[in-house]
Amino acid sequence: MSSESEIVQVRDVVKDFRPGFGIRKKRVLHGISFDVMQGEIFGFVGPNGAGKTTTLKLLMGLIRATSGTAKILGHDIGETAFRREVGFLPENAYFYDYLTGREVLDFYARLSGVPSRERANRVETLLDWVGLSYAGDSRIRTYSKGMAQRVGIAQALVHDPSVVFLDEPMSGLDPIGRKEIRDLIIRLRTEGKTVFMNTHILSDVEMVCDRVAIIVEGKIRYQGHTHDFLDDGEHDCEIVVSGVEPELATQLEERHGAELRGQGERVEMRVAEKKVGAVLDAVLKARGRVLAVTPQRVSLESIFLDAVREEEGAQ
Amino acid sequence: MKAIERIWTIGLNTVREAIRNKLLYTLLFFAIVMIGTGVIVGSISYVEGSRILQDVGLASIRLFSTGIAIFVGVGLIHGEVYRRTIYTILSKPVSRAEFLIGKFVGLVMTIWLQLLIMSAAFVVVSLLSGAPVDLGHASALGLIGVELAIVVAVATLFSAFTTPMLASFFTLGIYMMGHLSRDLLQIGANSESASLERITRVIYEVLPDLEMYNLSIQAVHQLPIAASEVWLPVLYGLGYVAAILFAASHIFERRDFK
Ligand SMILES: Nc1ncnc2c1ncn2[C@@H]1O[C@H](COP(=O)(O)OP(=O)(O)OP(=O)(O)O)[C@@H](O)[C@H]1O
Ligand SMILES: [Mg+2]
Repeated sequence: MSSESEIVQVRDVVKDFRPGFGIRKKRVLHGISFDVMQGEIFGFVGPNGAGKTTTLKLLMGLIRATSGTAKILGHDIGETAFRREVGFLPENAYFYDYLTGREVLDFYARLSGVPSRERANRVETLLDWVGLSYAGDSRIRTYSKGMAQRVGIAQALVHDPSVVFLDEPMSGLDPIGRKEIRDLIIRLRTEGKTVFMNTHILSDVEMVCDRVAIIVEGKIRYQGHTHDFLDDGEHDCEIVVSGVEPELATQLEERHGAELRGQGERVEMRVAEKKVGAVLDAVLKARGRVLAVTPQRVSLESIFLDAVREEEGAQ
Repeated sequence: MKAIERIWTIGLNTVREAIRNKLLYTLLFFAIVMIGTGVIVGSISYVEGSRILQDVGLASIRLFSTGIAIFVGVGLIHGEVYRRTIYTILSKPVSRAEFLIGKFVGLVMTIWLQLLIMSAAFVVVSLLSGAPVDLGHASALGLIGVELAIVVAVATLFSAFTTPMLASFFTLGIYMMGHLSRDLLQIGANSESASLERITRVIYEVLPDLEMYNLSIQAVHQLPIAASEVWLPVLYGLGYVAAILFAASHIFERRDFK
């Protein structure tokens, strides 16, 4: 498979729910389209109730689309055989709580067709990856939330799938657990796997995802590469100085287009990146002191907030 | 991996769940108590003590195993959807039909296991009290097993799309109608009304004829049992179960799991 091929292809997918007795319908997905490419970590983000889990359940064949098409690895999502290559961690995963962690993983490995001679090995490897080797013989019933989440991640990977779908993989995990799972996801990428991840934790997206789509109220509002907004383009700089006399202030505003806030001992201003040198020169020449220079990245958060506001504005 | 292996994996896991579920032991315990009661009743009545014992024994086996089949069967699929354990299973290369059939097979195996234990208790108690045990009893117990498979299939069907409450209502209804459908047919045939006759005919055709699975009287009274009285019900049962599971899979295929 070439490195540019689409692993997941979603086209104009609409989903209506009919709550209650199905008289009124509620449109949850308004014709969404996106692609996930081979080998990338794709972040699917959006506010609560935006339709992330619905999209994922649709891709997993748990609910049927009202209209539109979706394919995984070139197969229509109604098929089952290709799921040998698919791993899935549901939101708040539940497992048979009368089974032990080891038995659960063995069960899923069997269902996925992992040959018996590899199974035991694979189960141990996964228990180790998610840090549950010590609890492998305890019943799931006795597991904490975070432990159950780790079992969920392990079962999603136990059959060594080539594409993995994770619904809120970090939820319920402590800071160390988060870091471990982040590292695990990054490791999946180095193994050439494709990862689709639902989340609303933007810092996780910035840290691990290659590309992101923002869904708001069932519509895709933004799609882009994370490096586009993380490391290039024109940025503003926030400069904090002290000892600014009124004539310097006027000069900065008129000559350099700086926007000043405050006066005297602490003045903050926002200037375009290419003007930073000139502004600092002017301040130093007038015997002011520079307290801080901070480049302002366009963060995912601001893109996210814009997308949500835009949707609110549209209503 | 073949479909059979996946169905078997799900089935075995269903048996394992039942074995680890304490409730089933309680029911089994009560069933054995009932058989024991038969012994006591049988031993204090002077006339035909061993027949009463076997009557009560077979009746309690039927009652309790059907009770367990319905009780567990109606929540069989619903519980998996409700507890969302089905999400991860269907994300694996397992079709919905395979899942449903696997659950059915698992429950049938569980119920048969219980039937086996109860039958063993029945045999022991009969022999201890000097009552004969022969092929007639084996046939009667075997047909109870086939009937139970039908009951589980019906419960599975309803469990695939409705709540345990409604499913037990429907399953129990079908079970009772299934035992009465011959009488209904007779009533229809004896009535003067052609439409009543047609209605009872349809009911008889659609619902399972469960009276044919009752060989208790022949067994207990040592009456002869023709071979066809055994293999016809077995064939009919197989066909009926297949048809029900086919319908259940079809309904299940269209569902959204929310
Ligand atoms: N079974 C259902 N019946 C009716 N409406 C539903 C159903 N499931 C979800 N919804 C609605 O669909 C919308 C999207 O829900 P979804 O669970 O996909 O959101 P989400 O983006 O995953 O949110 P969160 O971040 O809270 O997990 C919500 O408005 C929700 O109320
Ligand atoms: Mg969600």
